[in-house]
Amino acid sequence: MSMEKELIRHLLKKPVTLRYPFEKLPPVKGLRGKHVWDSERCVGCGLCARDCPSSAIEMIGKGLTAELKIYLGRCLFCGQCEEGCPRDAIRLTQLYELAESDRKNLILEFKREST
Amino acid sequence: MVQEAIISLLQIVIFPGFLFLILAAFFYEWVDRKFVARLQNRYGPLHTGPRGLLQPFADFLKLLSKEDIIPYAADKLLFSAVPIFLLSLPLTALFCIPIINSTALISFEGDLILVIFITTIIVISVFIGAWSSTNRFSTVGGMRACLQMLGYEIPMTIAMAGPAIVAKTLSISKIVQWQTTGLWFILTQPLGFIIVTICFLAELQKIPFDIPKAETEVVAGWLTEFSGKKLALLRLAEDLELVLAGSIMASLYLGGPAGFSFMPPFVWFIIKLTVCILILSNLRALFARFRIDQLMRGVWKYLTPLALLQIILVELIPW
Amino acid sequence: MSSIIKIPFGPQHPALKEPENFMFKVDGEYVVDVTPRIGYAHRGIEKALEDRTYIQDLYLIERICGICSHAHTTCYTQAVEEALKVDVPPRAKYIRTIVTELERIHNHYFWLGIVAHEIGFETLFMYTWRDREIVMDLLELLSGNRVQYAMNMIGGVRRDITPEISSKIMKGVKVLGERMKYYKKICSDDKTILARSVNVGILKTKDAISLCAVGPTLRASNVKRDVRADDPYAAYDEIPFHVVTYDGCDVASRIATRCDEVIESVEIIRYALEHLPTGSIEVIVSRVVPPAEIISRVEAPRGENLHYLRSNGTDKPSRYKVRSPTLANLTALCKMLIGGYIADIPIVIAGIDPCFCCMDRLTFVDINNDETWGWEGEKLRRYGIKWYKKQ
Repeated sequence: MSMEKELIRHLLKKPVTLRYPFEKLPPVKGLRGKHVWDSERCVGCGLCARDCPSSAIEMIGKGLTAELKIYLGRCLFCGQCEEGCPRDAIRLTQLYELAESDRKNLILEFKREST
Repeated sequence: MVQEAIISLLQIVIFPGFLFLILAAFFYEWVDRKFVARLQNRYGPLHTGPRGLLQPFADFLKLLSKEDIIPYAADKLLFSAVPIFLLSLPLTALFCIPIINSTALISFEGDLILVIFITTIIVISVFIGAWSSTNRFSTVGGMRACLQMLGYEIPMTIAMAGPAIVAKTLSISKIVQWQTTGLWFILTQPLGFIIVTICFLAELQKIPFDIPKAETEVVAGWLTEFSGKKLALLRLAEDLELVLAGSIMASLYLGGPAGFSFMPPFVWFIIKLTVCILILSNLRALFARFRIDQLMRGVWKYLTPLALLQIILVELIPW
Repeated sequence: MSSIIKIPFGPQHPALKEPENFMFKVDGEYVVDVTPRIGYAHRGIEKALEDRTYIQDLYLIERICGICSHAHTTCYTQAVEEALKVDVPPRAKYIRTIVTELERIHNHYFWLGIVAHEIGFETLFMYTWRDREIVMDLLELLSGNRVQYAMNMIGGVRRDITPEISSKIMKGVKVLGERMKYYKKICSDDKTILARSVNVGILKTKDAISLCAVGPTLRASNVKRDVRADDPYAAYDEIPFHVVTYDGCDVASRIATRCDEVIESVEIIRYALEHLPTGSIEVIVSRVVPPAEIISRVEAPRGENLHYLRSNGTDKPSRYKVRSPTLANLTALCKMLIGGYIADIPIVIAGIDPCFCCMDRLTFVDINNDETWGWEGEKLRRYGIKWYKKQ
């Protein structure tokens, strides 16, 4: 019976549940979400692809012409690519709603702008 | 003559008969779910209908459309008959309870005994259903339900005898009529009311007495093998049982539809029924589950002597 | 007339969140004997670790367990750092400690909810899991994720604690401490909880020691043993704290032990945040680990984590072994179950805070004559070579 007071107290309070698709919490700074790639900065060292624990990053080509392909379906969002990149070319954004109905859409292809 | 027949037919089929009772069952399931959710700081049903009011009905419809599986080893006839039994029994009992005025649809000397008898038959049907489904968990659940009944039934019956003794009648309608002139029995027999409330928690298999369908111990207990239409009917039957329990409490101890004349008696009845169901819901949120041996020990050690004490008090004190 | 019936419990059962089988022999309502059968969720992580580099392993280790992910990585990074002979900066050590303790708070809240669910106390379950959100939000703020924090790096931690985050953590843990004090009061007052937990699942001090129980299960049997105090790692040698013990030896004292540990963790976090040293948070380490053999121990929320590392001078470990706390508690669990009621099985199993997927080993089972046996690494290797040759 010792919880009765607490129950009555909560009866008058607003429920804490977030009605998710209608109400959203703002993502915190530093949340690890979808990747972005800065082609200007990337020198194509391949460290991200080498250290990725689930081989989700594929580096096409080498050096300054290298391009990136990221398989989001495999990604763990551990942030090792961001951490290991010596030039801060690859970053994780706060975008976290990544569900797709087609597996093809889960492949991020980053291309260099042709100069 | 014909007019009277039509009116009584309408009373049985629509109000306060089948249709009303079934709608009330859905409504009070919603009340129960919403209230417990609020106590637990949740929303509860939310999206179907205004404030999720239609959720129990939507659940019912969904289950009706699901595949109905009968286990290969089950006794098919009994297994199919049990949901119908369980649905019709609380409905029958509810006809003995005065709702719109102080006389019920079915009222005769001794209908209190009938109602108590029906609550017992409900548990027997549960056991038959559990046994006929031949599932290991169902069988354990059914046995637990029966064992539990052996515990709570006796104090419940003794406690219910209190109002009957004072009103000198075994008819629920007449007990209600007695209360329109005298005091409500909750004031003179509060102990009896508490005992009946606890016993109804056990009858309804709600926490802390949801031992027959304790999810973490015996999966869904006696309900394990029921699916589709049968499960839909069983859930409706459970809601009806909830309404039955609330109505009996309201009639025997709170004076049923009796009340001040600025509102029709029917509204008074609904208010009292809601209060009783909220009490049951609140208790459901307040406890952990007992073990079956703890329940039996508690019931025989405390509840039965207390119920007897209540009867003795009734005999000693003149009102 | 006494007849003994065999009742299988699991691998699929609502009381077990993970697949594991217990074969009970029951006499009426009493449990006479129990045989656990493990191996349903064997994931081959130890083998997979040998195929990956040390940096990649960090994230695989983290996924051994969802709830104690930080404890596992702390254990791993400690082992690798010792093999590399690097010293972690003090600030990194403090941050590791803070995350470990936040994780402990998370785990114990989570566990209290599970226990409440097993004994059918839905309201307590809802409340504890609601309050658990606070600590998960703090961890997200600190590390960027709610469960797999990825805070540990070999040679330090990844993210620093800014003063702003620090004040938020202070505020959050204060609420958590207050709430836990309230839940402790509920658990020691409420008649129904007491009826289900007092004198249930008894594990006497003598048995607890001889069966090698670990963690809160051991401490609830009145044995003062905690890796944080006995063999301090991270910053525990500089932070004062009490090792909580209770002498009830039953589920009630396991609840009380964990409740008190949360309150203790709150104090540790407060102290660590106030005395956070300045300086860098990581050192750069080499990718290649010199040959070494290391045993590393960490007090995970569920008990002692033991990791063994053998390196061979390459960038991949040559053997890695994990002994998670549930495996150590499993024999003690069988002892607790014998002599109890069938209705108490879920709560006793939940009482050790089991995490079967972390613990699962490979076992061979001959279903025809119910025989089980294990294979050593060498035998498995030879079988593997033979199998691949056949392909």
